Amino acid sequence: MSARLVQAIRARLQAADYVDLATPFKLAGVDFAFTGAMRGRDGRALDLVLLVDTTTGEFGDRDGERVRQRVEALSRALDVTGSRYVVTVILAGAILAEGIEALSETCRVLQVEGITLDPGGTPLDEAAREQLNDRIRVLLPLTLPIADIENSGSGPAIDQLVRSLPKYLNKELLDAVIAASIDGEQAVTEAVAGVIDQALQSGTAEEQS
Amino acid sequence: MNGLLLKSLDISNFRSIRGQIHAPLDAKVVLVHGENGAGKTSLLSAIELALTGRVQSLERADHGYEKQLLHRSALEGSVSVQTLLGPAELGFKALVSSSGVQSVSALDAPMASFFRERAFLPQSLLGQLLQIYQEAGSDANSPLAQFVGKLLGLDQLDALEAGLKPLADVRNVRKNVDGWQAAENEKSRFDRLLSDQHKIKDGIQAQIRTALAELTTTCASLGLAVEVSEEELGAIEAGLQGNTDRQALEELSDRQRKLASLRREIEFAQSTAETEANAAPVATEDTGDAYAAWQAEYANRIASFRARVEGLFPEASLESAPEQAAQTALRWLLAEQKQLSERARQARADIQRHKVARDERDVAHRQRDTIDEEVDRLPSTAGSLGAILAEISSFVTDETCPVCDRDFTEVSKVPLSEHLRHQVRNLSASAERLLMLGRTRSELQVMIERLDREIETIDARKPGEQALADIDRRRAIVETLIAELDELAEALAQGSQLRAADVAKRRAVSEAQSRHVALTAARETLSEYAVSIGGSPVAEGETFGAAVTRLDAQLVEQANRLDARLAMRRRGSDFIATVRSAVARRNETDAQIATDFASWQRADASLERAKALRDQGNVIRNAVDTVRSAIIRREFNERLNRVWRDLFVRLAPAEPFVPAFRIPVESTQRIQPKLITEHRDGGEAGGTPGAMLSAGNLNTAALTLFIALHLSVPKELPWLILDDPVQSMDEVHIAHFAALLRTLSKEHGRQIMIAVHDRQLFEYLKLELSPAFAGDSLLTLELSRGPRRDSVCIPRRYSFKEETALSVAA
Repeated sequence: MSARLVQAIRARLQAADYVDLATPFKLAGVDFAFTGAMRGRDGRALDLVLLVDTTTGEFGDRDGERVRQRVEALSRALDVTGSRYVVTVILAGAILAEGIEALSETCRVLQVEGITLDPGGTPLDEAAREQLNDRIRVLLPLTLPIADIENSGSGPAIDQLVRSLPKYLNKELLDAVIAASIDGEQAVTEAVAGVIDQALQSGTAEEQS
Repeated sequence: MNGLLLKSLDISNFRSIRGQIHAPLDAKVVLVHGENGAGKTSLLSAIELALTGRVQSLERADHGYEKQLLHRSALEGSVSVQTLLGPAELGFKALVSSSGVQSVSALDAPMASFFRERAFLPQSLLGQLLQIYQEAGSDANSPLAQFVGKLLGLDQLDALEAGLKPLADVRNVRKNVDGWQAAENEKSRFDRLLSDQHKIKDGIQAQIRTALAELTTTCASLGLAVEVSEEELGAIEAGLQGNTDRQALEELSDRQRKLASLRREIEFAQSTAETEANAAPVATEDTGDAYAAWQAEYANRIASFRARVEGLFPEASLESAPEQAAQTALRWLLAEQKQLSERARQARADIQRHKVARDERDVAHRQRDTIDEEVDRLPSTAGSLGAILAEISSFVTDETCPVCDRDFTEVSKVPLSEHLRHQVRNLSASAERLLMLGRTRSELQVMIERLDREIETIDARKPGEQALADIDRRRAIVETLIAELDELAEALAQGSQLRAADVAKRRAVSEAQSRHVALTAARETLSEYAVSIGGSPVAEGETFGAAVTRLDAQLVEQANRLDARLAMRRRGSDFIATVRSAVARRNETDAQIATDFASWQRADASLERAKALRDQGNVIRNAVDTVRSAIIRREFNERLNRVWRDLFVRLAPAEPFVPAFRIPVESTQRIQPKLITEHRDGGEAGGTPGAMLSAGNLNTAALTLFIALHLSVPKELPWLILDDPVQSMDEVHIAHFAALLRTLSKEHGRQIMIAVHDRQLFEYLKLELSPAFAGDSLLTLELSRGPRRDSVCIPRRYSFKEETALSVAA
């Protein structure tokens, strides 16, 4: 019987379509014993997830150095067999920061701790569930909120601006400033000054004609 | 379009890619590897160019970028992308030459903009992402604001807003629009001109009113029944020139002469009576003798004096009694002398003033000409030229002129910057001078007008030299006469006594002779005469002398009245002349006002047109604000925050703080999304990400933000193209990042294309993104190039292979 936290993680991963692997399992002729091992399906078929119980686990789970050695050995075995499995180690329980760093050179490391669980080994409430999800989120499917099509952008910002402007605007002015807006504010100022200047000049020209 | 897949890419001589390369792209994941400079970025920007016809990141850096796209060794190049939409194939292509880009076929504008904003993350944009967190602050220029702006195309809106901002304040408008100040000056110049002319016109109008009022009074006193107004001047003049008074005066002179002859007849009759009576009152003989002696001595002198006085005053006649006549004469003479001196003095003063005023006017004219000359010499564009030179001066770094590129030391020893500063100072001084000259000129103009009026008034009033000489001559005569009268005074007094005595004697004689026939006849004649001139007949007991005196007085009084009337007529004519000249001047002023008003209207219309444009500019600016706020509110919503949080937590599972956007609710001005951090387990942490997150996690935040923006809208194009996004992330994040890419590719149908330069990372991603199921696919493209050979792109395709390693486990 493994610890409640490991149970909770396993349950969550099972819900996300991961399947348990029997441990110890053999790879390249070597036995590997872990508190738990799981693999994904379909798009995640190459995900190999190892569970390590740093608080109460066996197989040297409580000793960071031994965990690292085991994971490195597994990694080597995968290389030797030309496997494309990607290993993720989930450390359930507290661990020293250096331990994670050393381990993360060989595989993806996730650490889960401080989740409030009920005696049955499930998260106590929604917040606890969410905390657990956050810790192993990279292994979980990504759900996108349904896009709000009504409010999605309708064309480039400039087009939206042009649509929102009253129709009586001087087209020359509008075209000039919009063309200049690509070149920045100074260009816009010059463009608008140019158009206004032209309006002034045309008045003077009439005067002279 | 959301099923559109990239199929292949062909590049020929584009940017750093020399020769032709063909790259297949039809896999769920495309990994591009190449050393720095091998052409990864060129390859990705080739895709952008083929699909959208532009390369936005280059365009921002350099507007002429289109001319730099061709590989320097080639004459022409092209980029083309083939895509698959189900079974159909769509091609996009652009031709590249040394003169620019010609897009043959591209995505439509909204798609292209989706591609630029949400599908392709070029390195430059990523660089900006990384900057965002370095600086706190939520102002318009913060890196976050700039990033958001670029990403959503808001930078153009920002440019519009900032660029149109000077329109809000008219001082800035003057500074930026060269002709504005000139137009305003022109308008206010006409304003001043018009107000000056109106003032002049008001003055003339007042003059006309005064003259008309005087004329009204004059006409009323003359009893002329005419309505006095400008239009009726002709009629009034005719009325004033009517010669009824003159005729009356002539008649009166006739009567006076008649009276004088009557008197002489009566005197003759009386003297006859006296002579006859002389015999009786011998006692009084002495008196008569003395009087006769006195008369013998003085009569001629007095008579001549009298004649001269009467010659001087032809309308009047003197009493016959020498002493009374002398007194009357003295009164007349003194009055005449006073009047003449007054007129002479006035005339001299007028002549004097006339001369001085003309001199003053000349001086004013000359001053005005001088000002006009100076104004002509001063370039009217001094102000704008000065502004332009001031702008140029910031480009002057050495002695080379930025305009003509010549070395200024050839021309002068003075440093160029000093020369330019000097010019600018001169020009702005000229502009001020021009304003000052304009003011002075208008003051001068007013003065000239005033002097012209004065001269004209004097001209109308002042007598000619001839007339003045006449006045002087007359005055001399008057003075002589007065002096003579003085001399005669004693003699006259004596004569008077003698005469009184004589008269007393004669009275006695007269009484005695009262029934004398001649006298009776004379009395009757006199009575008839009196009745004929409208007086009462000679009463019983009234002496001849008294009756004659009475009648004479009556006539004199009539003459005086007529004189006064004639004088009034003359004055009336003067007023008419004044009114006419004033009306002429007013008409001139009116014409000038009409001309200037037309100019003013033109200037005003110009300015109004410019103002309308300025208002429209402000309308655009306000609309920019609204549209930008709407876009920001729409884009930076809760959905984005939720996706961002999810992605961020995936990549940084141990980080308790997550970044989020917060849009200030109350702000009505420019809405700037603000970055905050929240605690992962709820509650706001408060600080900005820059303060709360480590450097590695900041990069994670930046990258996930882009992906979140891609994911938070409908998938219009299912591509994520990332250019070397992980070069500075630490190892932990790369593992998680790879997992995220896998999730996006394998669970969310995104076609992922990612370029990396690090070999180890490339190998790692190759492993992590290996095909995981049948139908899954991975392509790697290895780019390389040598100094003297064409670029090479080696594609390699990996397909799904059943994993057997674990199946052997027990």
